[in-house]
This record gives sequence, structure tokens and C-alpha cells, in this order.
Amino acid sequence: MTQAGAPLASEPAVELNGVSLRYDTADDILTDIDIRLKPGTFTFLTGPSGAGKSSLLKLLYLAHAPTSGEVRLFGQRTADMSRNQLSALRRRIGVVFQDFRLLDHLTAFENVALPLRVSGEKPEDYRDEVVDLVRWVGLGERMHAFPPALSGGEQQRLAIARALINKPDILIADEPTGNVDPDMARRIFRLFIELNRRLNTTVIIATHDMHIIREFKAPVLKLQDGLLFADSSYEQA
Amino acid sequence: MNIKMTPLLPESDAREAALFFVVAALCFLAVLATLVARGTYTAAEAWTAQVEGEMTVLVSDTDRRGAESAATLIEALPGVERAHVLTDEELDELLSPSFGPGGIPDGIPLPLLIAVDAEGDTTALAAEIDTTLAEAGINGRADTHSAYAAEVRKALGTLRIAAIGTVLLLTMTAISVIAFATHAALLARKDIVDVLHLAGAEDRFIARLFERRFWLLGLKAGAAGSVAALAVTAIIVFSAQSSNAPSELLPKLSLDQWDLMILAVSPIAGALAARIAARVTVGRSLRSSL
Ligand SMILES: Nc1ncnc2c1ncn2[C@@H]1O[C@H](COP(=O)(O)OP(=O)(O)OP(=O)(O)O)[C@@H](O)[C@H]1O
Ligand SMILES: [Mg+2]
Repeated sequence: MTQAGAPLASEPAVELNGVSLRYDTADDILTDIDIRLKPGTFTFLTGPSGAGKSSLLKLLYLAHAPTSGEVRLFGQRTADMSRNQLSALRRRIGVVFQDFRLLDHLTAFENVALPLRVSGEKPEDYRDEVVDLVRWVGLGERMHAFPPALSGGEQQRLAIARALINKPDILIADEPTGNVDPDMARRIFRLFIELNRRLNTTVIIATHDMHIIREFKAPVLKLQDGLLFADSSYEQA
Repeated sequence: MNIKMTPLLPESDAREAALFFVVAALCFLAVLATLVARGTYTAAEAWTAQVEGEMTVLVSDTDRRGAESAATLIEALPGVERAHVLTDEELDELLSPSFGPGGIPDGIPLPLLIAVDAEGDTTALAAEIDTTLAEAGINGRADTHSAYAAEVRKALGTLRIAAIGTVLLLTMTAISVIAFATHAALLARKDIVDVLHLAGAEDRFIARLFERRFWLLGLKAGAAGSVAALAVTAIIVFSAQSSNAPSELLPKLSLDQWDLMILAVSPIAGALAARIAARVTVGRSLRSSL
């Protein structure tokens, strides 16, 4: 997806330099992390529970500022950006949250349409697109259902549809297939791959799912004790 | 095709009913305070103007006839509307607070007083009356009630400040309550605010949701308070008109176009205050996150 002010091809879409993160607790959750992801790359992020995968992704989708170090997206230092520039940047990032974060008072259709609504687009203009995507994730029959009435897997698919509706430049997904059966998981990953190939979307996915990682051969970053390693062990498997 | 979308902020809850009541009550009090202050002020103003246009001339060393001719001389002066010697009955009434309803005891010499209704500057007129009487060989001295009127004016100034202070205080209270409520609503709806924020909504977009909510609430609550104040005022005006108690010093609640304007403008002012309070609160809260 090309946009005004798009980076030079050589510029990383995502770059972390010496990033550390500490919450209110004394210990660093992430220590001195360096990442460079070129536009259009597909990357897995893995590591044991509590290793800090979600925390690292939060830095990438601009929910948190790092305690130290710098975050660059599309070559721009986020610390130098105004609040409105950060908002504009967030609109280029699609996020599937580990806990979905669907809005319970909005229908499935409205949840998926949320990123477009936030950008000020008119329902008349995006209606068909949203309907298609909701159907594609298998929720055509549940278009006007509210999230509390959906199963865990259905909620997850809804969250994925919401992350994709904007055709984001960066897609960040935190355990996106934790609640769906292997068939649906495979379908979802195929969609991610397609997005990655066709629209050159930079995809970063945190997952525990070894089968998926083996099936969709892609670079794996592993978090362990707050440190990040490139993990090539899956590629031989 | 027009597609109806659910509002991003869910419909109101019990907390907002309480807020509605508080804002309505504050608006009611503010409107009532304004109307009463204005009514009192108008009444006192009219009364002072009347007092300021009155003069008393005390004539001595003469009889009633001499006083009558003095009154005729005074009435001929420019700026004088009427001058007449007070009759014994009028004097009796004037002095009854000092002597009681039994009237003035016989044997006490009654002063001869000329009441003068004037327009314009009574101080200059008083000097003129003094000269005129002196030239005519009448011993008399004019008294302008100005010292007395000045006292009343000073009291009016204090009343005005008190009224403005009361309205300001009520407005500030309303703003604080709304800011407080916005903060609570923001916390209660943090899930929604976070999702909107992460989906790329600008601060202004999120603030507008809350602004709209509290603007509408302020308008409705303010209107309710204003209507209640109107009802109470109407009752006061009605009962004042139907009783024949001396009403000069009671607040003059007339419900004229100014009063009606105050009634109409207050809810809008209240809603505007609500809106600004919401905007500032949301802006501040959002800026504390990335
Ligand atoms: N907001 C927070 N405040 C304080 N500590 C936090 C916060 N969020 C996460 N943590 C802590 O940071 C560590 C890393 O959490 P994180 O959610 O990033 O792990 P994770 O790798 O995503 O785990 P999982 O695989 O279970 O999702 C954990 O010890 C967690 O308790
Ligand atoms: Mg996690």
C-alpha cells in the first residue's frame, strides 16, 4: 500500500534501537532490544508465557512508550511526533489484540467498521467492504450480533477482520489463532500471507503455535528473559 | 442510503441521572438568584430615583400663608414639577413613627414643610431654592435627600456584587461537577477510549464524543432547571399581584423580556460550561497517555 510520505524502500518499516521497557515494577520486562524489519516482511515472535511478547507488540502499535531507547516506524522517530501524527500512524497499523478488545455495545458489523469510522469515513462508502470481510471470516450470519453473544473463536475472527479492514501497512497480531480450530487458523494465516504478498504489508505475529510456525516458514524472533534472539531452529524442522 | 450506526459511547446510565439532577438544580438556583437579584435591583433603583427627585423645604418664622407663597415661588422655578405645603394630616402620617398612631400631641409646634418633586440635579436646585427664598425674605432651607440616596446606592452596589458572585459560584460548581463526572465517565469507558485511541482516533474525535454527551445533558438539565425557576418566579409574581401588601421594596419580578432571556440563555450557558469542562477533562486525560 503506497501512501504520501511512504518511506524509501530501504528504510525499515519497524525499527527498535536499544529499547528497554519497565512497568511500575523494579525489573526490566524488555532489555536493550534491537529490531529492524523491512517493509513487506513476515515475522513470527515467540517465547514462553510472560516473556514480554505482548509488551513488545504494545511498543510497536504505539500503546506505550519505551522506558529507554527509540522506536521508529517507516523511518520516523515516534518520540519526535505530535499527537495527531501518532494517531495518523496508528491508522496505518492493524492490531489483533490478545484479548480482542471488541466493543460490546456495537454489532459485529460496527466493530469491524470502527477503524474506518474513526478516520471519518462514511458508512455508505465502506458498507460493502465491511460486509464482505465479515462474511469472509465466516460471520455473515452474525453480522448484527453483539460480541458477548459470540463464541471465543467468533470474537477472535471479528477482531482479525477489524485489524484488516484498513488494509494496514503494518499488521500486528497477538496470538491471533488461540481460540480457533486448526482449519480456521490455517485460513487466517493464509490471509495474512496473502495480505503480506499482495499489499506488501509488514506482518508481525506473536504465537505459541509451533505447527503454524513450521508450516508458514518465516523468520522467528524469540523473547526469553527480556532478551530477543533470532531463532532459526524452526527452519530446519 | 443512510446507515444508522450505534453511538460510540453507550447510552446513559444511573450516574448520569444523578448528574442531570445536580446540573438542573444548579441551573435552577443560578436562574432564581439572577432573577431575584435583578428584581431587587430594579425595585431599589426605581425607588432611589424617586427619592433622589424629592426635596423637602423647611420654612420657619412664618405662618401657613407665608409657606404657601414660598411653595408658589418654588413651583415657578425651572425643573420643579410640583411643590406643596404638607397638610397637618400629611405631617401626622410622616411623623407617626416618632409619635405613634395617636398623632402629634397638642401644643407641640408643627414645622412647616414644603414637599418638592423635581427632575434633574436636585443639588443645584436646592441652592437655587435657598437663594430665591432669601431674596423673597422667607427663612427657609432646602434638603435634597442625597445623603440618604447615596447610602441606598452603596447598598445596591453591594447587592450587585453579591448577585454576580452567587451566579459565578454556582457556575463554577456546575463546571467542577461536570469535570468530575466526565472524569468518572472516562474511567468507566476506558475500554472504549483505549480502542478508539489505538485505532487512530485523534484526541479531538474522542473528546467530541464526550463533549456531545455532556452538551446535550447540560442543555436538557439546564432547561429543566430553568423551567422550574420560571414556574417559581411566576408563582411569586402572581401571588404578589393578587395580594395588596406594599410592594415597593419587594423584588420586582416582572418576567419581562430580559427575565425571559435569562431563562432562555441559562441552559445554553450551562451546556456550554458542561461542554468545555468535558473537552478540557478528556484532553488532559488523553495527553497523559502516549
Ligand atoms: N501493565 C502492566 N503492568 C505491570 N506489569 C505488566 C503489565 N503488562 C504486563 N506485565 C508483566 O510483564 C511481563 C510480560 O507480560 P506480557 O504480557 O508481555 O507477556 P507475554 O509474553 O505476552 O505472555 P503470554 O504469552 O502469556 O501472553 C509479565 O510478567 C507481566 O506480568
Ligand atoms: Mg501476551
